[in-house]
Amino acid sequence: MVDSSLLDAEEYRRLCDYLYRHTGMAFTEARRYFVERRVEDRMIATGSSSFASYFARLRTNLQGELESLINASTVNETYFYREDHQFACLTSNLLQERLRMKPRGETMRIWSVPCSTGEEPYSIAIWLLENWAEVDAHDIEIVGSDIDTSVLEAARAGVFGRRALMRLSRALTDKYFTPAGPEHWQIIDELRQSVRFTAANIVERAETRPHGLFDVIFCRNLLIYFDDTSRRVAAENLYESLAPGGYICLGHAESMSRISSLFEVCRFADAIVYRRQPEAPHG
Amino acid sequence: MPLIRNGSEKTARVLRQALPTLASASADERWSAARAARDPSDIPSLAEALVHERDARVREAIFTALARIGASESAKVVLPYLRLNDANTRTGAMDALRAMPDACHPYLPELLADPDSDVRLLACDLVRDAGGAEGPRWLCALIETEPQANVCAAAVEALGEIADTTATPCLSRCAERFPVDPFLGFAIKVVIDRLRHVSPAPRG
Repeated sequence: MVDSSLLDAEEYRRLCDYLYRHTGMAFTEARRYFVERRVEDRMIATGSSSFASYFARLRTNLQGELESLINASTVNETYFYREDHQFACLTSNLLQERLRMKPRGETMRIWSVPCSTGEEPYSIAIWLLENWAEVDAHDIEIVGSDIDTSVLEAARAGVFGRRALMRLSRALTDKYFTPAGPEHWQIIDELRQSVRFTAANIVERAETRPHGLFDVIFCRNLLIYFDDTSRRVAAENLYESLAPGGYICLGHAESMSRISSLFEVCRFADAIVYRRQPEAPHG
Repeated sequence: MPLIRNGSEKTARVLRQALPTLASASADERWSAARAARDPSDIPSLAEALVHERDARVREAIFTALARIGASESAKVVLPYLRLNDANTRTGAMDALRAMPDACHPYLPELLADPDSDVRLLACDLVRDAGGAEGPRWLCALIETEPQANVCAAAVEALGEIADTTATPCLSRCAERFPVDPFLGFAIKVVIDRLRHVSPAPRG
């Protein structure tokens, strides 16, 4: 059995430093309990008798341990309204900021990548309809992209089980879904037709550039799985996919600062996000 | 409903297709040219551009291109930038080298023996990510003779992450060489305590 006070201060610092350098995930002291529990789970799973022996295993990435710890430290299961504080930031701050900078009448473009089976882009659509007073005054395009074409088919079908809907109120479920068999619901057609799904590998510039420029990109819990080079390439592709002054939202534990200096950090009441400089320097 | 439907004529603004070069007067074009480089034959052009490039964004794209190509020559191009006084470029060079550990690996012994102690210090950090199985041995050898305490401290820090109990004797000897440096002594004690729980890695 693993001791409940798992890591001393120095060990915790070293672990966080390692995860930051290798994944871009940034954990503060406030997240210590969460991190320790994940490490404890992985120590038990790998039969590691001490943190030192577990850390040696992690460092050598024995049997993919780094990915296992990442998986344990992130919620792989996707569902509606996941990390909705970023959606709150979207409607409270980001869209207003973008409107201030965009030519009048230009479409507001939002990209969800990776979109998996569609929960995130549909969540954005529902959130906007429910929470943005100006939603009727602007054209909004939502694009969901994923490298996995099989999940895109499921996304287009828009049929979800109870777990995916667990954070939606009954009222929202009734408003935006129709029953689709036992314990399953389908997004209403009108909403389903309002999200465009495309295949895209964000490490491949040739696949990201045709998507054009977005005002806001949601790219959550993806970059942490890449190696350093792929992460840098992906960050540059995302930069190119943002309109000047556009925003990118990463997962709650992710930090772009470790990956790239291309973006500036923006701290809002509901979330920390990253921004492409409004005016790209010209040389 | 205001959300745009699939197949709408309101499509994405397609980026202008240009034929950019690394020598263009436009930073955007130099950025695009750097981003398009992905072949070892591009390394000389990237190296030349890096010498003159003053735009941080373009410089980062050049570093990324070199890392993506990942050839030994890529690392060779980046190494001189570890010596710059400009911290941003130096950090960019370090990040690029970390991103191509295999290409960086052959140069590490040379960097660890560099006359410039700042370069040796940075090399200790690189060994952590790019040293592979030889990393602990290289760092142990360094702390046996390294005259600068801060370089030893960087090596000790890295050893704490990558070494096992076999590093303990040279760590102890390093502490003995700097008896009046309380920070280094403390750092070595912490690492030795930690390594006590790490079994030697299988050899061969």
